[in-house]
Amino acid sequence: LKSTPSDPPFHERRRAVRLLPGTPGNDGILDPRFGKKVFKLLPGDFFVTRRDEILTTVLGSCIAACIRDPEAGVGGMNHFMLPTAMHDSGAWTGNAGNANRYGAFAMESLINAVLKLGARRERLEVKLFGGAAVIPGMSDVGARNIEFVRDYLATEALPVTAESVGDVTPRRVNYLPRTGDVLVRRLRLVTRDSLAQREREYLQTLAREPVSGGVELFGS
Amino acid sequence: VPGAGRGTAARVAADRRGPEQYGVWRMASLILAVDDSASMRQMVNFTLKGAGYQVVQATDGVEALEYARGNAVDLVLTDVNMPRMDGITLVRELRALATYRYTPMLVLTTESSQEKKMQGKQAGATGWIVKPFNPDQLLATIARVL
Repeated sequence: LKSTPSDPPFHERRRAVRLLPGTPGNDGILDPRFGKKVFKLLPGDFFVTRRDEILTTVLGSCIAACIRDPEAGVGGMNHFMLPTAMHDSGAWTGNAGNANRYGAFAMESLINAVLKLGARRERLEVKLFGGAAVIPGMSDVGARNIEFVRDYLATEALPVTAESVGDVTPRRVNYLPRTGDVLVRRLRLVTRDSLAQREREYLQTLAREPVSGGVELFGS
Repeated sequence: VPGAGRGTAARVAADRRGPEQYGVWRMASLILAVDDSASMRQMVNFTLKGAGYQVVQATDGVEALEYARGNAVDLVLTDVNMPRMDGITLVRELRALATYRYTPMLVLTTESSQEKKMQGKQAGATGWIVKPFNPDQLLATIARVL
């Protein structure tokens, strides 16, 4: 068997451009109001911690799932949206279509990361945020993201204990995994334009990238 | 068969022929798909069944090992991070059994580090597929190693 070298997945390539939260050089920023370190997440990121820290992100139509195990004291957050085909194609929709596979990947990456830090699946509690209609002319993007993540969590039998989703206003979410507390601030509509632009770019990047992580066959 | 992958259509067609008509009668290959995520099992099951394979699902390494010991499986497709027994341990345990010495075993995981891949290779995995999986690529890889 021939071994085929594979490109690193899209996330790793994109993330290499900036320092990931929690990696050396990005050790968070101390927030004097809370006296805790704050880690900022951008679209496509996820971050998990065992420490008493704050995870923060700004959401338009994207989703942030906040997942923690209260007993293990471990929690994390992701920030993602489903890719959509810029040209309609059967590969994008349906049961194992690109959109579902990418969304499941984003959720599973976060869940695996909290499990690795000692969380137990049966103790996980989930809070959901985002999915607002912020991109002009693409009002269904947020709704689609909400529908996906609810379906996914129902299939995985993971309970949603709190949520703030939908509507038209962007949200700033501050999550404290240690306590499970979430501070959500609805943002003024002026922030919508720049946010919509960022999300449109994120969507375009997702549409260009193949939803595939690569294959390597081991020679014997 | 709609959505049949290359190489599998012939196998599926062969299933419909009885042994009395043909010298060799072969069932569709049986794949043991192991993942602790129900969504992932659904998507993998959908993809494999659509290509004409028979699929048995297991939720962790312990369940998979138990099934594989009592049944002849043609290919194992396993996740890595699972409760009770992870996928790399599963591959190692199966390889130690005489009946699974040459059975193709593919790992399907979010893990993409070289270190984990090497662990998989040393345990006896045939190949390593990083999520999110591409259905065509998954089917092509399976057809190649079966």
